[in-house]
Order: sequence, then structure tokens, then C-alpha cells
Amino acid sequence: MLPACLGLIPFGVVCGVGAAAAGIDFVGALGMSAIVFSGAAQILAVQLLADGAPVAVIVLTCFVAGLRFLMYSAAMAPYFRPLPARWQNGLAFVLTDQAFAASVRRFSATHDSRAGALHFLGGGSALWVMWQLTNALGFLAGNVIPASWSLEFAVPLCFVALVAPVLRDVPTIVAAVTAGGFVLALAALPMKLNLIVAGLIGIVAGTLADLARERWKAR
Amino acid sequence: MEGALIVWTVILVVGALNYLSRLSFIAAFGRRSMPAWLARSLKFVPAAMLTALILPMIVTPVPGATAWANPKVLAAIAAAVVAFHTRSTLQTLAVGMPALWLLQWIFGVHG
Repeated sequence: MLPACLGLIPFGVVCGVGAAAAGIDFVGALGMSAIVFSGAAQILAVQLLADGAPVAVIVLTCFVAGLRFLMYSAAMAPYFRPLPARWQNGLAFVLTDQAFAASVRRFSATHDSRAGALHFLGGGSALWVMWQLTNALGFLAGNVIPASWSLEFAVPLCFVALVAPVLRDVPTIVAAVTAGGFVLALAALPMKLNLIVAGLIGIVAGTLADLARERWKAR
Repeated sequence: MEGALIVWTVILVVGALNYLSRLSFIAAFGRRSMPAWLARSLKFVPAAMLTALILPMIVTPVPGATAWANPKVLAAIAAAVVAFHTRSTLQTLAVGMPALWLLQWIFGVHG
């Protein structure tokens, strides 16, 4: 998971910069990175806070954007199943996009769930520590980073690194293209509501495409 | 509500919901199996949600650039090709960021 840690450095810095720019104090920024521990949710929350959006809208948007954790949780559950509940509770806290991407294939290759869990817990904890350091760095030193570096572009790139590799079958591509089309078409909606609407429509479109493909194959 | 109170409300509620989402099936698995329709839909959550999240960060109007000569769009396409083949965040960044700088320099635009 070392490459994942290094890849997250610019992302964490951008999150810290964003928190400072939104007028959140240092303790609040640290609390957010330590407790929320999700770059996507932090970026959304900070931007919506700066826009003065209602708390309910911020919470709903972050929750819907975090629905992907349900999928990660379901995918990791069989591997965590033999472990004690206390372990499971700890492992769930460090279940992030990057930890999931780095671990899911390793787990399917090994049958030793304890070794796999140890690797996951170690890697996930390292990601957490790195996340706190980079968020703090961004908060404190963000104003010395030249705007010409376009560091904020590292955020979509970190997600491109997660999304592009899964676009290998038609229903998943349908889900992504539909969500992408709607999020741009509905850009005029206030308070980033286009994100929730487009994401949910994309999930439905992918599901329907998957059902259609199954019917087609069964013929 | 006062500013700091709003911020901490968001931190605690979003943190709790995030944690419950992460724990959901890890804690529930075994007691009951997942309905088939749910398992099918969950597969598409990351692709749909993450695409909806990142596209507005990439497709932003840039002064002096047309929609297709947009440095961010072109750099993101190059990065996506690298990501598709390598599955590596580091390599995606290592291509995407310099690609953006180069394209901004070529087009003479920034943003």
C-alpha cells in the first residue's frame, strides 16, 4: 500500500488547503480529516460549508457520495468474516477507496484471512496517518503552493485512477457514462444536487444494462 | 447555528454515516445474505458516484480554451488511459499532472 500512500499526498494537501480556504479552524480541519477520513466527503463538505448550504444537504450529499463504501463493505465482508467482531470494527474504519483497491485482489489471492487482515489493517493505518499529516500540511502551508501548479487537479486524477480500471464491461461503462452525462447536464442545480441525482441515475442505468445483458445472454 | 457548531455537526454526522456505511456488510454478513437486486446495484455505485464526482472538476470552462481544447479534459483522458492499463494512482498522477502543465503551456491558458 506504499504507492497508495504516496499517491494520496497531493490529495491530502488539497483537502487541507480547501479547509483553510473555507475558513475552518485548524482543530476543525484536523477533526474532519481524522473522523471523516474520506477525501471525497471532505472536499464536498468543505465546499458546501463555504457556500453556506444547510447541514441536511451537506450530510445527504456526503452520504450518497459515500454509498460506494457499502459496495466495498460487501466485497470485503467474506474475507473479514472469520475474524473477531472487534477486528471487524477496526478494519471497517480504515476501509477507504485506496485500501479497498489495493487489498481486494490480494485477499482473493490468499486464503489466510488473518494475514490478509493484518496487511489491510497495517496499510489502512498507514494511510490514515499519512492522511492526517498531508491534511495538516495543506492547511498550514497551502498558501505557499503556487496556483500555477494546479495542484487541485490531483483530486480528480486520484479518482480517475480508481474509476478507469473498472470500466471493463458494458454495464459499468453505461453506469459511468450516464452519471457523467447527467452531472454535466444538471450542473445548474444548486448545492451540488446534480451529484446525487446523476449518481443515483447512473446506478439505476448500470443495473438495467446488467439485467438486459443477462436476458440477452439467456436467450 | 454558529460556525464552529455547524462544522462539528457536519464532521460528526458525516463521520458516523461514513463509518456505518463502511461497517454495514462487514458486520451484517453471515446473519443474513444480501438480496440479489442489491448486490447487482452495488456493483455500479463506485463507477457512477465517482464519475459524477470527478467530471465537474475536470470539465470546467477555461477562459481562452474551447470545450475540446481544454487542458484539464485532455490531461484527464491521458491519465485515464494510463490508469486503465496500470491501475496505479502514482503513475496516473505522474502522467496526468505533467500533461496538464504541458497543455496549459501549449494553449497558453491556465485553469
